[in-house]
Amino acid sequence: MDRRRVNGPPGGTTPPCYASTSSGKTHPSSKRTRGANEIRKIFLKTGLTPSASGSAYFELETPPTNHSNSLTNRTPALKLTCTVHGPRPLPRSAPFSPQLLLSTRVKFAPFAARQRRGYIPDSSERDLAAHLETALRGVLIGERWPKSGVDVVITVLEGEEDCPWHALAAGNQNGRTGGWGMMSILSGCITVASAALTDAGIDCVDVVIGGVAAIVRQPAAPAQLVLDPCPSDHEEIIAACVIGYLQSRDEVTETWAKGNITASSDGMGTTPMGFDALVDQAVEAAVAARRVLVEAIREGTEAKIQGSQIDFHAIGAALNIKENAARMRFYRLRKAIEEGEPGATPTKAATTPTKRKKDQANSDEGSAKKVKDEEVVDEAEGGEEGEGN
Amino acid sequence: MSLPDLAYPGLPLGPSSSYIPGPGTHLHLESSTIHASIAGRPTFTPPTAKGSKPTLSIPRLLPSPTHAPIPSSNVSNTNTLPTVGSVVLCRVTRVKSKQVDVVILVVYGAEGKFGRGGEGSVCADEWQAVIRKEDIRATEKEKVVTAEGFRVGDVVRGVVISLGDQSNYYLTTGRNELGVIMAKSEAGNKMYPISWKEFKDPVTGETERRKVAKPF
Repeated sequence: MDRRRVNGPPGGTTPPCYASTSSGKTHPSSKRTRGANEIRKIFLKTGLTPSASGSAYFELETPPTNHSNSLTNRTPALKLTCTVHGPRPLPRSAPFSPQLLLSTRVKFAPFAARQRRGYIPDSSERDLAAHLETALRGVLIGERWPKSGVDVVITVLEGEEDCPWHALAAGNQNGRTGGWGMMSILSGCITVASAALTDAGIDCVDVVIGGVAAIVRQPAAPAQLVLDPCPSDHEEIIAACVIGYLQSRDEVTETWAKGNITASSDGMGTTPMGFDALVDQAVEAAVAARRVLVEAIREGTEAKIQGSQIDFHAIGAALNIKENAARMRFYRLRKAIEEGEPGATPTKAATTPTKRKKDQANSDEGSAKKVKDEEVVDEAEGGEEGEGN
Repeated sequence: MSLPDLAYPGLPLGPSSSYIPGPGTHLHLESSTIHASIAGRPTFTPPTAKGSKPTLSIPRLLPSPTHAPIPSSNVSNTNTLPTVGSVVLCRVTRVKSKQVDVVILVVYGAEGKFGRGGEGSVCADEWQAVIRKEDIRATEKEKVVTAEGFRVGDVVRGVVISLGDQSNYYLTTGRNELGVIMAKSEAGNKMYPISWKEFKDPVTGETERRKVAKPF
């Protein structure tokens, strides 16, 4: 009896053991339905973790399956969440650093793959973290943050596996995350970390995007170069390559290739399949993913700029007008002020405090009466402008 | 040339022949173009001297209030780093015979304003700093006694003079406008300044010695 720890029930329990739904039959592997130079759809959003300096969430499209809707039969997609903490003071024991110190951590959630992961980082997680660090170190402008450190923490909520779950259930033991699935995980990690770093407002020379390309072979077909391979889609992956790419400077900060490239260049097709071709294709995948990243950053930044988001519904209710009418009135006024229209200048002094009051209404909805008084001024001006136009 | 509405890291903003890179931007030497290095709305400030170029900069953004833990305040999870010359507000944590240990709580941008009117940013983490004995006062430095200038818990306005060693920033209070701005007496009451070196407790009527900052 261990008195220092919380002990389990004396009787002991047995974990539930589920029967395999595939009943031993091996289903045909799901097929790649997109083109060879098409990447999967990406969902990316920044600023989801309030306690962090910057954060982002990344998800890859779940490939369609032709099997039953059973939970065990679905092909896992990639889901990552990244938080950035800092720049914050270094611990007292750390030596002086004129630059920003970067530390990265990648952790699989215990439920990320079919095989449960422990809490202690294993070698594949440390490997991913090391690769991520090299990818990010090249983009950070470290000199702007002396004597401080930044922590990039990525949690893999769902990782890709090398073969579908039903095949795993059928006794295929190659399906652990740690094979080819690691390549797309690293690529996702690079992209999501870049989004989170931008969200945290840490100076970077560019956004760094991950891209994967692979040489795959289907049975009775020549080897083929594909972008963004989903391991469970392909019968055999010969080689794969991940890169971290900076598009505006055309630089690569991280390369990680795996597999037998020479064996694949037996030249059955017309496409050359050397290492260079693989890297070129990975760059292409990164360029395609960059659009999503830039759009996500744009959305997040706009939300920040709008800053004091105005509750137009409350204002509308206080004024007895529709929510959209209140919004339109605000934007029309703001535009008039920003452009400095000659018609708007005399009222400028009066409109600025009004706008501020509106912002306050957001934080303090109880002061609806005060807002109402202010809005009378606003309404009059709105009318004037309407006539002017 | 018109600036883009929103910039993100890596976006080219303009040639270095017509602009100077400011905060939030950097110069890419190979293409001699100014690129954005943070996300935000780029602005340019007109040249101060004749013949010089306008400065391109991107102001740092605070997290949106819907996500911030404390809405409608400028407390953020992002730190503004103290640099040499920045005015800071700090709290005294320890008084030693050779130096005074403080933690920096608020960082103001420009020097010369002494935090007056300028936008200060509250640090998410406390940064360690020290005021050395010889930096407490501008004159008669050898006669300074640290215990007669500060007490633990005082709020001090200072200026960063050096990034210091591995853990501490170095501050100075050797000016009229710098020194203790808020202090509590030994009895625990808030005190008010009565001279350049004394605070008075309104309850007990006793005075305590401090390096007092000149009120604005």
